[in-house]
Amino acid sequence: MSSRVSGAAEVRALRGQIRHWRRGRADLSLVEAIGDAYIAVFATIMLGSMGISVSLNRRNATGVLCSTATCTTARDLMPWLFGGVEVAVCLGVARLFGPMLVSPAVGTWLLSAPVDRNALLLPRFAGTGSAAFLVGGALAAVVGTLAGFSAGTIAAFAISVAAVCLCTVTLTTVVQARGGPAAKVATWLVAGLVWAAVVALVLGVLPSPAPQQRFSPAWLAALVVTGALAVGSAVRAVVDLPRIHRDRLAPGGSLVPSLSGALATLDLALIYDILVSRRWLARSTVRPHRGGPKGAAALVWRDLIRLRRSPQTVVVPVAAVVVPYFGAALGIGEGLVLLIGLTGFLSGLGLCSALRVLSRTPGLMRCLPLERWEVRSATLAVPAVVLVAWGLATGPAVHEAIGGTTWGTAFWVAGALGVASLVAVTRWMTAAPPDYLKPLVSSPMGAVPTSLFGSLARGFDVLLLLCAPLLLAAPATGAFISLVLAAVVLVVLLNRP
Amino acid sequence: MPSKPPLLRVRGLRRRFGDVDVVHDLNLDVRAGTASALTGRNGAGKSTVLRCITGADRPTAGTVELDGVQVDERSPKIRRDLAVVMDDMDFFPDLSVVEHLDLFAQAHGVEDVEAVVDAVLQEVGLVPQSAQLPGTLSSGQRRRLALASAFVRPRRLLVLDEPEQRLDRAGLDWLAERLNAEKAAGLGVLLASHDQALVEAVVDNVVHLG
Repeated sequence: MSSRVSGAAEVRALRGQIRHWRRGRADLSLVEAIGDAYIAVFATIMLGSMGISVSLNRRNATGVLCSTATCTTARDLMPWLFGGVEVAVCLGVARLFGPMLVSPAVGTWLLSAPVDRNALLLPRFAGTGSAAFLVGGALAAVVGTLAGFSAGTIAAFAISVAAVCLCTVTLTTVVQARGGPAAKVATWLVAGLVWAAVVALVLGVLPSPAPQQRFSPAWLAALVVTGALAVGSAVRAVVDLPRIHRDRLAPGGSLVPSLSGALATLDLALIYDILVSRRWLARSTVRPHRGGPKGAAALVWRDLIRLRRSPQTVVVPVAAVVVPYFGAALGIGEGLVLLIGLTGFLSGLGLCSALRVLSRTPGLMRCLPLERWEVRSATLAVPAVVLVAWGLATGPAVHEAIGGTTWGTAFWVAGALGVASLVAVTRWMTAAPPDYLKPLVSSPMGAVPTSLFGSLARGFDVLLLLCAPLLLAAPATGAFISLVLAAVVLVVLLNRP
Repeated sequence: MPSKPPLLRVRGLRRRFGDVDVVHDLNLDVRAGTASALTGRNGAGKSTVLRCITGADRPTAGTVELDGVQVDERSPKIRRDLAVVMDDMDFFPDLSVVEHLDLFAQAHGVEDVEAVVDAVLQEVGLVPQSAQLPGTLSSGQRRRLALASAFVRPRRLLVLDEPEQRLDRAGLDWLAERLNAEKAAGLGVLLASHDQALVEAVVDNVVHLG
């Protein structure tokens, strides 16, 4: 017992020393940094308030239109679906980072030293669990408020989601120590359950009213079970902490500075690069596929091989087809146009890894004896087929959501939205990173390149441009204008240096 | 009988960064079947010259011609004739070693791709790694893959930036042998190097910078 205590004290002292070294190099305190970033803080609060206000107004405005059983059930189910998505995201993030991780400095200096790993990891475990509990609960409380729950139900809902999020952290920590695919299976299982619930709702096979809207004894029982599971798995995780291998702690720690660097430059595409690279690094070898056509078609052939090698890149857009139908069921009206465009854009990002690599690597582009537009067109061929087909698959949802349209017009609009998603993805993938060689502008955060803040809007800007005609003009005319604009933007993007 | 024009002709090349002339008034010819080397201390401008020649950087002044035609890296013909291996070479994270080489050869329309690629893989010693993804290769193996990418495709001028980097002794011997074979096949070679032995074994014309 005494050696355990002295070991913990020793680790605390060493970690304190590392912290001291780090802080000794900082030229700004946290308070000063927050003070400097006041504009960002105020902007976030203001925009967040506006967003919530718009959501509530929209909810009130469309509430009278939500009279069908499907719409009512969809709205009742929405917070629960959000809770499921939150848990799936929590699982995904926990798996991505470990959830237990150590910084590169701690990994180098302390993990190789004969120190008590439990004392080293316990504060991290407590911090991660608390963060999952608090963030999960806060988000659930916001959703519960937007869903119109009573105060007591909001509290119960927030605590329930928070407890499940805490459970995911403790259980994934146990899996991290013991190995095995349980966390991966659980992520897909939760995501699959949420998806199945949405499909059942859209197909109208979900009993109505489906979800509990009031705190009930059954809910309390479920909460008690979840809480017990969280406590039990937390105890198990604490016992298992010293068993976690170094090779499972270090990757998460090295990922954090990489992602921080990308976020510091607001370069979301760089985050994409880091995550894709990490994913394939973990796989290490593949079964090579040889042969195929010559010229630019060789790039298209490689994209087909990618689909076979990484089917989730096409499974995600296919599964996401249900989102517009869910939007239509919610009765969001013309907001569906933006929802379809955004869903297509986000779900199509995984299809364009070749375009991204060739856009950021001039050395690789030089190896190909093709015009720039030929290379980019070839790498867009497969994503284009998938995203246009994806857009067309949302035709019935468009028909349902936009009143007074013929089936032909609905598919015309849906196809235009598929193309809009494709062009937005192309914009996102081909954009250059912020250029620090160009003149910098002064900001509370220091000197920044003029293109830094604009980089956050990449892809979304084009999406908005191409969706605007569909929102402002008659559906058929709007789709035509959107397609013409998409063609112009695509030609520019294919040829830009 | 007029002498044959050089494969690569560089005249008055200048590259200025701010107030500093990194490269000033450089003239250089590389004839088919010969090798030229740029040597000099770190920062002398060797890589900058290669970047300007290959179109990766824009010179402040001067002309670069390949076979009498101004080099424009956007031109597919220039890219077909110029095989370049520089430090900015990266790879697709999801394609294996052999798939990369197949892709380059197929994009260039090489006949009998598999035979060509297999021979180069054997030569660079990457057969055991052919199914590996580039992210898992050692730095030396990545260098070999980059060099292999230049050898599986048609080319007239080979431009290499410090090709000796991260290669072991056997790799350096192979590289010298391979570059001499390139010369014998009538191709031009331009390299920047710090390796005196490699320069002596391969190069006909040395341009010392700095």
